[in-house]
Amino acid sequence: MSDEPEHLVKSYDTELKRLRGMMTAMGGIVESQVALAAQAILHRDGAAATKAVELDPQVDAMEREIEQFVVRLLALRQPMAADLRFIIASMKMTGDLERIGDYAANVSKRSIVLSQFHLPFSLAGIAHMLQLVQEQLKSIIDAVGAGDIDKAVEVWRSDQVVDDIYNAIFRELITYMMEDPRNITPCTHLLFIAKNLERVGDHTTNIAETVYYAVRGEVLAETRPKGDTSAYAVVRPSE
Amino acid sequence: MNTTASDSMTSPATHGGVQVRSSSEIGEPRIEIRGLDFYYGAHKALKQINLKFPDKQVTGMIGPSGCGKSTLLRILNRMYDLYPGQRAEGQVLMDGQNIIDPKVDLNSLRARIGMVFQKPTPFPMSIYDNIAFGVKLHEKLSKAAMDERVEWSLTRAALWGEVKDRLNSSAMGMSGGQQQRLCIARTIAVRPEVILLDEPTSALDPISTLKVEELIDELKHDFTIAIVTHNMQQAARCADQVAFFYLGEMVEVGPAEQIFTAPKEKRTEEYVTGRFG
Repeated sequence: MSDEPEHLVKSYDTELKRLRGMMTAMGGIVESQVALAAQAILHRDGAAATKAVELDPQVDAMEREIEQFVVRLLALRQPMAADLRFIIASMKMTGDLERIGDYAANVSKRSIVLSQFHLPFSLAGIAHMLQLVQEQLKSIIDAVGAGDIDKAVEVWRSDQVVDDIYNAIFRELITYMMEDPRNITPCTHLLFIAKNLERVGDHTTNIAETVYYAVRGEVLAETRPKGDTSAYAVVRPSE
Repeated sequence: MNTTASDSMTSPATHGGVQVRSSSEIGEPRIEIRGLDFYYGAHKALKQINLKFPDKQVTGMIGPSGCGKSTLLRILNRMYDLYPGQRAEGQVLMDGQNIIDPKVDLNSLRARIGMVFQKPTPFPMSIYDNIAFGVKLHEKLSKAAMDERVEWSLTRAALWGEVKDRLNSSAMGMSGGQQQRLCIARTIAVRPEVILLDEPTSALDPISTLKVEELIDELKHDFTIAIVTHNMQQAARCADQVAFFYLGEMVEVGPAEQIFTAPKEKRTEEYVTGRFG
């Protein structure tokens, strides 16, 4: 972190700064993938969807580059304490970011299918979820860059809201499908989209936990409250 | 602590089902230092040290040059007695006895607490006599018993296989790594309870270093070990407990895992990450 004294070996400092820079750069690309996915769904923007999907190989390449750099640092620097924790954390966080990128690409692909349907209902729930997930992602990438645990804990707690919206959307979409079988195809895609966004929230939470460990050297012990279980409910049409 | 040191020897700690070399369980103390101050003339080199050396475990002592870690090691077998103007105040308790009390017999103390130095210091005599020399000072053994003791010591020091056919050759002809293991064999030949190692591998090549580290791992089944090292990775590999010293103070002590992954003190953090300045 910036308030720490520098290493006696200056090139080690340069390498750690480079790793932090690579993490935030990867985070930035993933953030734009999610933004493009949001644009694709909410505005039926096929070009945005295509762009989000096209960014995926870049994200995968960055993950590989970060992994190789981490292995190099472990082998050559034999890091200790906070340096060790940050380097290991980067290895974990890059995996989470890559998954978030995959979900954004998947959401974008589904948005292209979805745009071919007339939807007789609003996407307000999905829009709200997208907004929250994007805010969380932005906060957590800032937290990675600055080693800010207060921000990380804030993100960690806020995932509950995303889970709640997901459960509400699940119930809502089942209702639409029961009302009219023509809704089944778009609603199924929307269910997957909602699930993918919920998973984005989970990976963002993982990153928050990793940032906390990297900075404090302790695991976030508090149990995060779990939402309702309606997503597992069995819904039967009335006879 | 719910396990004793002997428990942790018979059932070493496991992480994820994999047996780990050093244990995060710190056992009952064999030596306990209380409120120890040390002076080189008017200069106070150690300030109010409180430290426990767990029985049959390895305590690593780290810190920058001049921090007092070697001084502390030398206090444990009263090396400073040789030098006028050097004095220790406080308590170093072993079996309830303050071993830095001048009334405690120095020879019998050094039979209980052996020491190995940075550079191998074999005597200019045969390999056999290097081992037998110290034993003869403390015990009267028959030839057969002495032969047995020499073999036992060399075996425990992982050297028997390499020297059994040339016990009467001069120790000066051995390699540096072998000479250091001979010095360890010589130390354990008098069956001490505690072994002090002062940077025992700093003059050795990497393979000899690993052999000595492997030996330390073996020896802790029978002996309480204190090791001073400049090599942080070595402390991480060998020690169960690590103490960090700076400017004559003990800044932090804890399980090796804690010191090297999440130290509590900022100065420890800065030292182990190489940010000292």
